Amino acid sequence: MDFFELFSIPFIIRALIGSVLLSIIFGLFGTFIVPRRISFMADGISHASLLGIAFGLFIGTYPLIYAFLVAAIFGFILAKVSESSRITEDGFIGILLTGGMSGALILLSFVPGYKPELFSYLFGNILSIEWMDLYILAAFFVITLVILYSQWRPLVMSTMHVELAQVLRMPIKRTRYFLFVGTAIALIAGVKLLGVILVSALLITPVLTANQIGTTFKSTLILTLIIGTLGSIVGIILSYVFDIPTGPAIALLLVAMFTVSLVYSNLFKNIKV
Amino acid sequence: MTTAEHSEDIENIVDCQNLSIHRDMREVLHNASCCIPINALTFIVGENGSGKTTLVQSILGLLPITNGEIKLNSKSKKELVFGYVPQSVNFSKHIQMTVSEYLKYSASVPSDLIEETLSIVDFPETHLHNRLTELSGGQTQKLLLAAELFRSPDILFLDEPLSNVDDSSEKHIIDVILGIKNQGVAIVIITHDWQMVSSYADHVICLNTNFLCELSSSCICKNSLSKLNIRNIQKATPDPQSSHPGYCYIENI
Repeated sequence: MDFFELFSIPFIIRALIGSVLLSIIFGLFGTFIVPRRISFMADGISHASLLGIAFGLFIGTYPLIYAFLVAAIFGFILAKVSESSRITEDGFIGILLTGGMSGALILLSFVPGYKPELFSYLFGNILSIEWMDLYILAAFFVITLVILYSQWRPLVMSTMHVELAQVLRMPIKRTRYFLFVGTAIALIAGVKLLGVILVSALLITPVLTANQIGTTFKSTLILTLIIGTLGSIVGIILSYVFDIPTGPAIALLLVAMFTVSLVYSNLFKNIKV
Repeated sequence: MTTAEHSEDIENIVDCQNLSIHRDMREVLHNASCCIPINALTFIVGENGSGKTTLVQSILGLLPITNGEIKLNSKSKKELVFGYVPQSVNFSKHIQMTVSEYLKYSASVPSDLIEETLSIVDFPETHLHNRLTELSGGQTQKLLLAAELFRSPDILFLDEPLSNVDDSSEKHIIDVILGIKNQGVAIVIITHDWQMVSSYADHVICLNTNFLCELSSSCICKNSLSKLNIRNIQKATPDPQSSHPGYCYIENI
């Protein structure tokens, strides 16, 4: 098959469009999640949302609706808990992760027979991305961009230094809830592409990779979006060409890009973007 | 409880009445009252852990108060603008922000005014494109002060503003502070520098029973301070018996 024929295959087109939208959303959220040292949230929320998927499979309806619900609730609770001085965020994420997965495994034990769709949710399956998924994703993309635009300065300042943002009378509480719940929903939106096991790779890795090369906030943000988009597009193409699973292909490619950036930043410390 | 009032004729920009403040389950201030006069340079002094930063953070709204009232008085109907320069700031290492970007985000400084804004506080021009994490403690304090000055606050809180600043910049920063005070900004400085207090204070708030304050510009410490500083302050105390109308005393628990 000619390489360019790839782009006439409907499910590849859908996967590519979805991956670009997701990479941009993940890059924007990741820019604020990673510096706050709550990257583990991505794994915690996505794994815990298996509870919603298991519930959907258990009652025989569309599982991602319940996964969205579970993720949004967990994101909200996490934002609330982060106000507490007695519970650490990473500790609470660990509780959510283990609690959610345990509940999911118990529920799944009541679902009779072989569950092939479960593997799609665990590791992603580009064949499962429908046009309707893309319409919903596009709507979420637009809403996210509008809110991010309106909350950009408070998000940046509260990520830099919470106290200074408070003195500036910025709505840091509202932006934190938006960041946590928005990221949680975005993670589930990425489940069909990467699966709950690997979806955090697209949130965390591009930011850390860009941090090795970028020297300003602006250049690092742009690099994050480019790296995430490039990684997921090339990952999808490689997965099709070599007939390998898409989620792991994207995740591994992003890890490879991070490794190269790490070597680059150590060898050429003076050459930065 | 924090309340805001506005009146053309006010003496104090902040009035704290019977404040009790807890921090990490511990009561740091108990039934404390004080005020911050308008157009004045106020110093907050006290030993480590006496509640100086806690008091300032409560006025700024960063810490909730358990009991009492903080009254904010404004000459106009506009909400008071606070400025705050902490003693030290740990910016996130994982966000690559430069000095010029910080000024844009924190104080909305236009690009063409960035160099001018930094020159006011003697910030080296060569560091304009440095990342925040590459700055020294003194440079960070200067940057934060520059950002706060650009925002034109009604009241500016400075926590040990000269603690990290080199000798050559010290005089410059003091001149800047006195300059904005003369423009009508109320300045509140937390310090252990008694030389500075005795030289520039219009008003002093002491947070320790070990301090005996009878006058503005005249505080005598019974212990914990070097003899040199005590002598300087005593010299500046011509009449320890007379009281000052703007004087406030906070008794720490």
